[in-house]
Amino acid sequence: MKRTIIAILGLLVIGAGLVQAQAQRPSDLTYPPLKYEPPSPKDFRVVYAGGLRAYVQEDKSLPLFNITAIVNCGDFYVPKDKTGLGTVLGDQLIKGGTTTKEGPAIEDRIDFLGGTLNFNVQDRTAMLSLSVLAKDLDEGLATFFDVLRNPAFREEPLKLAKARFVEQLRQANDQPNAVLSREYERLLYGDNAVTWQPTKASYDGITAADLKAFHGKYFVPKNVVLAVSGDFDKAALKAKIDKLAAGWKGGTPAFPALPKAFPVPEPGVYFVQKAINQGYISMGHLGIEDTNPDYYAVQLMNFILGGGGFTSRITTKVRSDEGLSYNQGSRFTYRWGLPGTFSGYVQTKSSTVGYAISLILAEFNRIRKEPVSDAEMDTAVNFFLESFADNFQTPQATLMSFANLEMTGKPMDYYKTYRSKIQAVTRAKVQEVAQKYIHPDKEIILIVGDWEPCNKGGDKWPGPLDKLGKVHRIGLTDPMTGQEIK
Amino acid sequence: MNRRVLILVAAAFVLASFAAAADVTLNVQEHVLGNGMKILMIPKPGVPRVVCHIYFKVGSINERPGITGSAHIHEHLMFKGTQVMGVRDYAADAKIDARIDELMGRIYREKYWKTDGDPAKIAAWQKEVDELVKAEKAYIVKDDLWTQYMKNGGTGLNASTSQETTGYYVTLPSNKIELQMLMESDRMMNAVFREFYSEKDVIMEERRLSENRPGYFFNEQVNSAFYTASPYHWDVIGWMDDLRKVTKQDLVDFHKTYYVPNNAVAIYVGAFDPAAVVAMAEKYFGRIPKGPDLEPIRDGEPPQYSEKRLYGEGPAPTSLQMMFHVPRDGDPDTQPLAVLAATLGSGGGGGFRGGMGGGGGTGRLYKTLVRDKQLAVSASASSRPQWYVGMFQFSATPRLDKGVKPEDLEKEIWAEIEKVKKEGLTEEEIQKAKNRSEAMFVRSLGSISGLASRVGRADLMRGWRSILTDLDALKKVTNDDVKRVAAKYFVKDNSLTAIYTRKGR
Repeated sequence: MKRTIIAILGLLVIGAGLVQAQAQRPSDLTYPPLKYEPPSPKDFRVVYAGGLRAYVQEDKSLPLFNITAIVNCGDFYVPKDKTGLGTVLGDQLIKGGTTTKEGPAIEDRIDFLGGTLNFNVQDRTAMLSLSVLAKDLDEGLATFFDVLRNPAFREEPLKLAKARFVEQLRQANDQPNAVLSREYERLLYGDNAVTWQPTKASYDGITAADLKAFHGKYFVPKNVVLAVSGDFDKAALKAKIDKLAAGWKGGTPAFPALPKAFPVPEPGVYFVQKAINQGYISMGHLGIEDTNPDYYAVQLMNFILGGGGFTSRITTKVRSDEGLSYNQGSRFTYRWGLPGTFSGYVQTKSSTVGYAISLILAEFNRIRKEPVSDAEMDTAVNFFLESFADNFQTPQATLMSFANLEMTGKPMDYYKTYRSKIQAVTRAKVQEVAQKYIHPDKEIILIVGDWEPCNKGGDKWPGPLDKLGKVHRIGLTDPMTGQEIK
Repeated sequence: MNRRVLILVAAAFVLASFAAAADVTLNVQEHVLGNGMKILMIPKPGVPRVVCHIYFKVGSINERPGITGSAHIHEHLMFKGTQVMGVRDYAADAKIDARIDELMGRIYREKYWKTDGDPAKIAAWQKEVDELVKAEKAYIVKDDLWTQYMKNGGTGLNASTSQETTGYYVTLPSNKIELQMLMESDRMMNAVFREFYSEKDVIMEERRLSENRPGYFFNEQVNSAFYTASPYHWDVIGWMDDLRKVTKQDLVDFHKTYYVPNNAVAIYVGAFDPAAVVAMAEKYFGRIPKGPDLEPIRDGEPPQYSEKRLYGEGPAPTSLQMMFHVPRDGDPDTQPLAVLAATLGSGGGGGFRGGMGGGGGTGRLYKTLVRDKQLAVSASASSRPQWYVGMFQFSATPRLDKGVKPEDLEKEIWAEIEKVKKEGLTEEEIQKAKNRSEAMFVRSLGSISGLASRVGRADLMRGWRSILTDLDALKKVTNDDVKRVAAKYFVKDNSLTAIYTRKGR
């Protein structure tokens, strides 16, 4: 019902603005009003057998069937000596087969049907996704539940997977960006599940019994939320899923405690040597959780500082004015249940590393010291309001958003109230959160690059880099052993 | 004459092998303006957003030695304002900009035309340029087009350049399509390449980002060794030396030649009224004068007559790459080659030195080399029928822990190739490739921006209906076709083999 209303709204809006006089510039244009109300999660919520929660929408526009299971489990729940278990599980849930079918038989069959079946494991969520033609709904759904409930973790495919992942460890230090983000997190989060890296020993130590135990603990109906859309009848689908979920038992699992305390690294420059022609830079400190009431103000503040592409200050200064870089900006990352990170970032040729850092630092200070302009505020607020409907572009994406809200315990009216919370943010509030969440005096500046030319600097900012703070040289670790390379 | 005709095309396309319920139609509405610009529309009622893309039939294959990278530089410059956008006082700004160009012209001559240019002269001119650049800032409205899009709820805001096409993208609320028409038509007509010299610096940084990806330099050499005569010989980003020396006039000429309405397609996908879009397109894009007709590129890639081999070492993973020349897009042989690539390579991992890879693992190469013989970490095959030349590529990464070398994998892949030449594929494999292509087609209809991209690009060369006729042709592929194309193209004299060995950490 809701769907039809949205569809009609979409069609009505454009007609009114037909063929006015020739506009020369955007300010000459006027637009017909457009009202959009987001769909409400409760209209899609279903509970299947065993307390299995789901967000479900019929969508007859194409003969397709899409289903995703979000499971609350991931790398953060893996003990240190088994680091890499999430990666191996990500590979083996399907490839290891089920109690009645071998992995390759499952993959071949889904492939033959032109379907896709994927599984991946992240920090605290794992996702199994299936997409098949609607005519294959029954077979696809049965396979989906078989993989979700009855993985067998056979020895042979597990052995192969472990060997391949160990081989891939050789590439861990190849990409400067990968080294940068790994070392940045290590400095900010310290030694815990957020930053542990797999080694040959940890991969070797992962057994089928470990995978079974991990699966048995977390893959229980109360720990899963589904998102389902496609060409089906909702009631008929319920009967099918109830049947497939019947007898699936298990209460809410006990989760390992998440790290709560993090080290405070000494402010200054941290340098990783790599023989490349640019410096890759991240500078900042820990950020906030997205449940923080200041989240909306922080979104706007960061949009103006360095998150809003070419409209943001860092991009204007570093890229557009100075031509120093292709990629630059600032970002707040978010993690479920933990603070995320705040960082300014840029990649620039070695001789302008110090200069680019100094420009970003100046912008950090400026947004703390001066209120943002009305024009900046106007652009930022309007961007979030006017692009809001993008969150609901496809039924499956919408349902996934709702499933994620429920999984992470966020308020289900998150989208309903989103725009009013953005609108409530003032310029003063933007400055307040800049002062509260950006701390140039506490930040670390991590650089991956070639030491000599980076340290030397250039005309506009001659080195040495210790002008930016005490320099700490960090060695790379051997990904096979986890030991520092001497 | 033809300006108000709305051509309604509903290509009824029935996927016959599906159950009766699965009839799927690609419904594209088409309108051609008097100046030759094409407007394509795929209405999708629902969320009030519209994906707005413009594609130009120009890419790096339209360049020549000396101006490589121009198509991509030009794409960047299209964000640098027009006579209307991005400027407070156009006349005053133009005066400063002309003086900057004059001085930079002198600097380039002194630096690049001479082997003994006078550094003192260069420094003096550069000093004046720096002062003018500072003075010009008073007249420039920074990233005006971008800001206008953003504050009107524009998302997916971007542009990209490939060998063959250049695209400009934004997704807007349904009531703001006119903004896109206004600004895109304005930059087609009135582009002014402000801040040209600092933007070239940005692009050189972009190239350095690629250079710092391990194996990039070797890959660039492999590509240029594979394509000798055609302009696929250089990467889209261009050679660094050309980026340094290319002039603003080169780019102005490029713009005049290729950014004409008869070389462009605009496509809209989302919730809108097609009649309203056509009316707006007439008003905004219709005001641009038609340009001269454009000759297709002169490709002329010669036969190799002998095998090519390249060896490299450096900081990237040890790997093997085997490349074969195959026909261009639209040739009847491209469909059997697509079936072959899908069957050999499915789920076998990323491309050359594709890093993680591995994937689904239903392809023959994965099953044989990765799973059963355990010789490779990943193995894949892909077929790339481009507009003027095609390439079929095998890639594999050896299991170093087992002492496997790229040359061992090369032998194994040749053995697989010989098997295909002799026996072809199984009926099941061929049917699987067909099923997958059909299902992927259905799925692509649900991806709004993906659909815009696929239909818009396809239209520039062989018309958007080629998406349907190609799928039809693929469904007719037989095992004899597969054996025939394998025998025809997978021969050493038609190949380049590249072997890369990791050295150091």
